[in-house]
Amino acid sequence: MTIDTEPLKSVSDIERTTLMTFLPGRIAGMLGGRRWRSLAPLAVLVVLCVLITIANPNFIELRNLVRLANSAAVPLTLAMGLTFIILMGSIDLSVEGTLSVAAMVVVLLAANDSNGNDYGWWAVLAAIASGTIMGLASGLVQTMLRIPSFMATLGMWFIGLGLSVYMLGGSAIRLNDASIRDLALYRFLGLPLAVWVALGAFVLAAIIQYHTRLGRHILAIGGDEDVTKLSGVNVVRVRIAAFALAGFFFGIAGVLAAAQLGQSHAVIGDGRLFAAVTAVVVGGTALTGGEGGVVNTAVGVLIVTVLANGMILLGISPYIQQTVQGLMIIAAVALSLDRARLKIVK
Amino acid sequence: MKDGKALTFSGSLSRRTLMVGAAAGAATLAMPKVLRAADKPTLVTSIRSLSNPYHAVWKTGAEAYAKWAGLEHVTLVSEGNSEKGIADIKAMLAKTGGNMVLNSDPNDTPDARPIVEACAKAGAYVVTQWNKPADLHPKDFNPNYVSHIEFDGIASGKTIAEILFKAIGGKGGIVALGGLISTTAAIERKKGLDAALAANPDIKLLDFQVANWKSTEAFDLMGNLLTRFGDDIKGIWAANDDMGSGALEALRAENLAGKVPIVGVDGIKTAVDAVRTGEFACTVTSDPFWQGGMGLAIGYNAKIGKFDPAKEPPEHREFYGKAVLISHDNVEEYYKTNVESKPEMDWNDLWGRVTGAIRA
Repeated sequence: MTIDTEPLKSVSDIERTTLMTFLPGRIAGMLGGRRWRSLAPLAVLVVLCVLITIANPNFIELRNLVRLANSAAVPLTLAMGLTFIILMGSIDLSVEGTLSVAAMVVVLLAANDSNGNDYGWWAVLAAIASGTIMGLASGLVQTMLRIPSFMATLGMWFIGLGLSVYMLGGSAIRLNDASIRDLALYRFLGLPLAVWVALGAFVLAAIIQYHTRLGRHILAIGGDEDVTKLSGVNVVRVRIAAFALAGFFFGIAGVLAAAQLGQSHAVIGDGRLFAAVTAVVVGGTALTGGEGGVVNTAVGVLIVTVLANGMILLGISPYIQQTVQGLMIIAAVALSLDRARLKIVK
Repeated sequence: MKDGKALTFSGSLSRRTLMVGAAAGAATLAMPKVLRAADKPTLVTSIRSLSNPYHAVWKTGAEAYAKWAGLEHVTLVSEGNSEKGIADIKAMLAKTGGNMVLNSDPNDTPDARPIVEACAKAGAYVVTQWNKPADLHPKDFNPNYVSHIEFDGIASGKTIAEILFKAIGGKGGIVALGGLISTTAAIERKKGLDAALAANPDIKLLDFQVANWKSTEAFDLMGNLLTRFGDDIKGIWAANDDMGSGALEALRAENLAGKVPIVGVDGIKTAVDAVRTGEFACTVTSDPFWQGGMGLAIGYNAKIGKFDPAKEPPEHREFYGKAVLISHDNVEEYYKTNVESKPEMDWNDLWGRVTGAIRA
């Protein structure tokens, strides 16, 4: 009565790989498998750009490319921070809370229309510091109280949001400091300063990921936390550092958002969390951790931004834009993730 | 006595617990009636959140009225959660024994019914604003459901559109930024825009896009629209000021602020400032300060018997309030009275801003 289950199992395996990943799997196979797959997000981006350009040549106008870069600045900075957390296989939901705290701090400490403060660029430093502290707190809560990052950062999200609602008294407060507003208004080599800051954040994130011990340890934790621990890495310290680092990037993004909008209100971060997570995942960083990185994320941010821009250029009705966006996200992830290797899909 | 009865039916109770429970029940039923009959009613404001400028001003107006009338005032915040909004109101009804006046901006349309029913049952007086189901009428809950107040979104959308058209010289292309697609205010304001467009064939609506009431989304959207239409955009119609201010910052980044006029709805401070500098052509406000204070005033005057709701004409029971237009002509005066200082209201003028009964 011993039934050989092995053939059955392998049949279902074959079925899964051939049916579920049929098309992308084939294309990937023809072009050399994993190597092609890692370039899939870039290919999606290029195809998207070409298609939009054919439909509306205005797309590759210099002015539009500058605008694209400008609207990618805040999401890029945010997604840089988030990438490190997702690489560890964790999640940081405090994006919107931390961003609004940083935006609140910079507006209230710099020249504004609500109080008499005028600390200039010290306000920017304080904002970035407060973002970092929020991240540090997330990391400490997660590791010391042993609360899953999902809940720990959900808590920090609401704490941050509540804090900025309280401090701003529910209203929108204008940022009057001209030098901080120059982040959005002044242009260097044709690009607004905010774009240069975002590029700087990207370079910094790339250096941290590829050339520092912290970056490699983060990747290792995402790959296999137990093995990493056994190899003598202080996992707790790496986790706290990663969350603080994410908070640092969120802080910068908060300053950029306040500078762009010229004001701060508690809901300045609304919708940024999903945009950032989408960008990270579309870029090919796995939510399970250990795969992907900041370069992928940069491509992901561009895909999301180009898509939003393209839908307006193509004149797609606002009533169906979200549907198109959803389809594109599924398509991009289908192409870029190597699902054949996934044993379980949660 | 009701409490005592409930406890006996609940079964396994010692006699002492039963006695204590019955006594406590009797006490809570008997005491408030004696004690609170002489008490002044509590004023209660129920709003969505304190994180938006609109409701923050609403609360200021409510507090100003409470101070003027010498009454206690409590603000309940639903945080966009209908269940919480209704539960908080029921808790306040229990706490005050029904001796309260409620001015509510229900979180969602269906919420108005349970709120009104709970108030009527407890004997409290209620005024609702903006949201109520079409088949829920104050006249069916005399005298407790005093009034329902709305602002005519079609009129607002049309008025600002006409001012925008005038500002760009009666011809040329405009783009429009709409609110969250499914909301009544977004639908009505767009209807107003459409009506104004139909009457002005020389104005071309280049594109209508949705920025979900948010300045951040409007900022990105506006950049994209500039790419698509460039200098063809002569004016921007926004369904609220927050989106308008987002569009304004996108223009500023391209050195276009002040060159392309913007109009919006709500009268938030950013927009009023922009009207002063000429970057906005106008904004129109339902005046949340008035809404917060006068909603309570109408309810309180009905409660103390200054007027009998049952005898009031229909246009005092369900009416459109008068929106205040803030344009270049009156912005300095508005700024002085409403932004630099708290506005002075005649809280006795209950019906001064009635513009007519709500369309069925």
